[in-house]
Amino acid sequence: MILRVLSVLAALLALSVPAEAHKLKLFATVANDRVSGYAFFIGGGRAEGVDWSATSGSGGPIASGKTDDQGNYAFAVPGPEAAPVTVSVDTHEGHMASVTLGAERFGGAPAPAAAPEADPTGTDRDAHMAALVEAAVARQVTPLAEQIEALQDRLRYADILSALFMIAGLAGAGLWLSGRRKGEK
Amino acid sequence: MAHIPDGILSAPVLIGGGIVAAAGVAMALRRLDDRAIVRTAILSAAFFTVSLISVPLGPTSVHLMLGGLMGIMLGWGAALAVLVGLALQAVMFGIGGVTTLGVNTLDIAGPGVVMGLLLGPAIRRATGTRRGVLAGVAGAGAVLGTGALVSLVLALSAPEYTPVARIVLATYVPLALVEAAITAAVVSFLARTEPAALEPSGAKR
Repeated sequence: MILRVLSVLAALLALSVPAEAHKLKLFATVANDRVSGYAFFIGGGRAEGVDWSATSGSGGPIASGKTDDQGNYAFAVPGPEAAPVTVSVDTHEGHMASVTLGAERFGGAPAPAAAPEADPTGTDRDAHMAALVEAAVARQVTPLAEQIEALQDRLRYADILSALFMIAGLAGAGLWLSGRRKGEK
Repeated sequence: MAHIPDGILSAPVLIGGGIVAAAGVAMALRRLDDRAIVRTAILSAAFFTVSLISVPLGPTSVHLMLGGLMGIMLGWGAALAVLVGLALQAVMFGIGGVTTLGVNTLDIAGPGVVMGLLLGPAIRRATGTRRGVLAGVAGAGAVLGTGALVSLVLALSAPEYTPVARIVLATYVPLALVEAAITAAVVSFLARTEPAALEPSGAKR
């Protein structure tokens, strides 16, 4: 019986290799004071039609809605934020996730020292340049950030195997303990 | 689903769930003999593996839990099997959480143990189709019980995360049907080939 169960387990394990845990995650990226991203299950596809909401750390909601059929959401952050912005999703059946974006990503609180007013044109140019650079960097970094997010929670074959052997080890330890107890009697 | 992460449930719910789960695990440990150790480990490994495989379903994704099967085959031992599986998932993959171990164990194993205690004797006595149907009912009942418990602990501790009944039903009912079929198939197979596998330890003593 045990052998049979083990072979079934092995088959399940083989099936599980490409699959990953189901855990709701939220991806978010900021570009030009616009936040966009998507809700996804690790290995289980995007979360469609799920309620999302964004709140500011300084209090008050910023935006909310439902994700589209690709699990996407997007909203604009009107001005500089003094406090971090938190985006959260809730599938209303027990899954929820949130991600917090630091205020510095909205050109907010830890703002660079104000430039002297004597040279307004120069400041404008600098600000414009900074915005362009920021947009370009965001565009380049977004796919990387997505990959990191997905990699972090990928189940590894070795981890699954080690957990199964851990269980076998626990069983062995249990048997050894019970055998010792019998020996003492 | 039943893997509630850290930082959502309130302290009283976490502590209450932990105490009930600890009591269940204590019951399982007291009944643990050589035969039960091996069986509990096998089902724990099975639970660990199948609950990592998730299938997308509309706005969410679901995975098997085998609560009913564990309840029938292990009785109270299901609590121990689930605890070990969940602890490993939490530590290795960050699925679920460490503080929520007790509550999650209760949510998954609790309904399974209840189903095993209620229907187990009838399942072992029954034959043929009747046995399959009873096992299916146990499998489905355990899933629905888990859905109800997850909703309850969320509602008790975080009103803003209270699941919506309509969505919970839409998620758990298909899963319950699948679990019913799997539980019925496994139990019928074991009953034909290895009837002793359906006896939790202690049932014969």
